[in-house]
Amino acid sequence: MLPRILAAGLLFALTAQPATALGSKKIYELNQERVFQIRVLNRETGEKSSIGSGFIVGDGSQVATNYHVIGQIIQEPELFYISYTSSDGGEGELELLGLDVARDLALLGASEVIGTATKMSDLPPRGAPIYAMGNPLDLGLSIAVGTNGGILNQTDDSRILFSGSLNPGMSGGPTFNENGEVIGINVATARNDISFIVPSRFLRELIERAVRQPLDSDIDLKAEVSKQLLAYESGYIDQLLEADWPSVDLRKFRLPGVISPTVRCWDNSAKLGAIVLYKRYQIRCANKNHVYLDDANKFVGKLVYDYFWIETEELNPIQFYNLYEKFNKDQIESKLDRDVVSNYNCKTWFIKVSSQEMKSNLCRREYVEYEGMSDVLFTAALTGHARQGFFITLIMTGVDFKSTLPLIQKFLEHAEWKP
Amino acid sequence: MEALILEIGTRGLHRYAPIEGETTTIGRALDNDIILSDPAVAAHHLKIIRGEDSLQVVNLAEVNPTQVEQRDLDLLLDQGKPLNLQLGHTRAQLLRRNSKVAQTRPLVGNSSGNRLFGNSIWTALLVTTVLIFGALEFYLNAYTSFNWSDLFKYVLRETVLSLGAFLIALSVLERLLVNRWEVRQLLTSICLVYLLYYLLNIGSDGMVYLVSASWPSTVTLLAWYLGILPGAVTLYLIHISHLKRKQSLLLALMIAGPIALPALLQNGELKALLDDFSTVARYQNSLSVSNWHLSSTISIEDFINNAGKLDQGEFAD
Repeated sequence: MLPRILAAGLLFALTAQPATALGSKKIYELNQERVFQIRVLNRETGEKSSIGSGFIVGDGSQVATNYHVIGQIIQEPELFYISYTSSDGGEGELELLGLDVARDLALLGASEVIGTATKMSDLPPRGAPIYAMGNPLDLGLSIAVGTNGGILNQTDDSRILFSGSLNPGMSGGPTFNENGEVIGINVATARNDISFIVPSRFLRELIERAVRQPLDSDIDLKAEVSKQLLAYESGYIDQLLEADWPSVDLRKFRLPGVISPTVRCWDNSAKLGAIVLYKRYQIRCANKNHVYLDDANKFVGKLVYDYFWIETEELNPIQFYNLYEKFNKDQIESKLDRDVVSNYNCKTWFIKVSSQEMKSNLCRREYVEYEGMSDVLFTAALTGHARQGFFITLIMTGVDFKSTLPLIQKFLEHAEWKP
Repeated sequence: MEALILEIGTRGLHRYAPIEGETTTIGRALDNDIILSDPAVAAHHLKIIRGEDSLQVVNLAEVNPTQVEQRDLDLLLDQGKPLNLQLGHTRAQLLRRNSKVAQTRPLVGNSSGNRLFGNSIWTALLVTTVLIFGALEFYLNAYTSFNWSDLFKYVLRETVLSLGAFLIALSVLERLLVNRWEVRQLLTSICLVYLLYYLLNIGSDGMVYLVSASWPSTVTLLAWYLGILPGAVTLYLIHISHLKRKQSLLLALMIAGPIALPALLQNGELKALLDDFSTVARYQNSLSVSNWHLSSTISIEDFINNAGKLDQGEFAD
C-alpha cells in the first residue's frame, strides 16, 4: 500500500509542477522581440531625452511602459515624441493611448501591429522566481532574476516587492513568471536587490479603459494627470475616513494610530542625556504612497502626521514656553520652485479639542500647472498648560484641499485628553 | 574798517584767527599771518586786503586755487559775510566779529534733562541692569542644563563683549568726529538702548500671540531699525556730542544703517515683501505661557467650516 501511495504522491508532485517552467534563458529568447527600449526624443535635436523599457500588449500594436518614462510628453507635447527601438534594430513612433498616473503606467500605440502581445498572469506565490527584462543604462536588453516578495500593502496594493536588481532604463519593462507570462511592470528600485513591480492587473485595467475610452488627441494632458491624481487621492482619503482608526496613547493624549495599512509609524523621541531638564516624546507616521508627478514636482501623495509631547518638572513656565515655541515649527519638506507651486496661505484659529484649547494653523499652496491640486499643512499646539506641551502636524501633498478637511476633522475628533 | 575773524574748520573745536591789519596773508609758509599746516595749501595761498568799506580776497595759489562759495576765486570778491572759503583741504569762514553765536549748550549732567548721562551711579546701575537682563536671557533659554560657569561665559560673551565692542567702536568714532572722549555718557546711552531693545522684544512677542499675527514683530523691527535706533543716535549726537541737527541725523543714519540692513534682510516678513515667493509656510507658531489672545476659541466643526473658506495661495510672478 505504502509504495502505491508514494508513487501516487510522486506522480501528483510531477504533474503539479508548471508545465512550462522556462528559466531565464528561455524567457529572454521568447521575449527579446517583444521588449523594447522606449525613448522620448526631442523633435528639434532628434536626440533622446529619456529612456526606459516597454513591451507589447493588447492587440499587438500596444506597448506598455511607466508613466515616468514618458513624463516629458505631458510637460511639452509639442517638443517631444515617443519612439520604440527593438533588439533587432527596428524602430517606430508611438502615441499615447492611456495613462494611470497613480500606478505609474502608460499605454502607447503604434500605427500597426509590431509583434505578438505578451500574455498576462496573476502573481505567483511568494518566494517564486520572477524575471525582469529591460534595457539597463542604455546597455542593451537584459534579464534580472529574483523572487516575488508579495504585494506591499503599505503602497496601496500597487507595488510588488521584487528581490532582484532593477536599474535605470529597466523601468516600464515586463516582469515574467516562470511560464513567461507578464505578472507586472518594472517601476522602481531601492537598491541592494530591493525593487518594485506594478501588478499586471492595473495594466489590464488600463488597456480595457483605453479601449473603452481612448484619450482624445487634443486632450489637455496636464488636466488629465491632475484629474487622475485628485480622484486617486480623494479615493485614498475616503478609505481613510471609512476605516476604524486604532488609537495610540502619547502621555495625556489618545490619538489616531496607524490609520491605514499604507501608513507606518515610528518612535522619533529624542535620546536625551541625564542633564536634560525636560522630556520629549514623538511619534511620526507616514505613508509610502509616493506617486510620480513629473520631473519638477517629483512625487506627491504624501501623508505625514506627527505627534510631539514635551513636559518638564524642572523648567519654570517661561523657560518651558521658550523651548516649546522653538519646537513648534514644521514645514512641507519639498522645496518646490515658484514655477511649480504658489506661496503658502496660512491662517490661525484657536480650537477646543477634547476639552483642551489648541492653537492651530492651516496652510495651503497650489500647483501651478495642475489645477485643483494643493499641498496642505495643518498644525495644532496645546495651550494653557504651564509645563506640558503637545502638538500635531499633518501634511498631505498633491490633494484637493477641501477633501482634506474631513480628514483633519476626524483627526481632531479622535484626539482625546486623558487628565 | 570792519572787524573780521577767520573761522578755520578743524576736527572737533574750530580755530579762530582775527583779521586785524590791512593785509593778511594765509598759507603754509611761516612768514604768513595765518599759517595752515595743510599739505594741500600753497606756501602763500590767499591774501585778504581790507579797505575802509571794502574787502579784497586774492588767490595766490596755482595748485589747488582757493574756492569761494564752491567756485574758483579769480581775483577778488566781496559778497557779504559769512564768506565760505576752501583752502586745500581746509574749510574756513570769514565772519564779522560781532556775529551772533548760538546759545550755550549745557554740559552733560548739568541740565535737568540729562542728569542721567552725567552720573556715574546711574551708569553703573544701568550696566548692572543690562548684565542682569543678559543673565536672565541665558537662564530662560537654558533648557538642557544650567550651571553658573556657563552663565558667566554667556554673559561675558553675549553682553559684556558686545557692550564693550559697541563702546569702543562708538568712542573712537566720537573721538574722530568731535575730538572728545565721552565714555560714561556713551556707555549710559548704549545701556539704555539695550534695555529698550529687550523690553520692545518682550512687548512685541506678547502682541504677536495676542493678535495671532506676525505684523507686531515686523512693525517693531521696522520701528526699531528705521526710527528708534537712528533717533536715539541722533539725539545723542545733538545733545551729548553737540553736533548740528542735520549733521547728527546724517551720521546717525550712517551708524545705524550697517546694523539695520542685515537685520532687516533676515526678517521673514520683509523677505516676503522683497521676494514674492517662499517655499516656507509662514504660519503663526508663537506660544505664550500667559495665553492671552483676542481670538475666541471655536469648536472643531466651526473650525472646519471656517477652514473651507481659506483662500488659495498666491502665485508668484
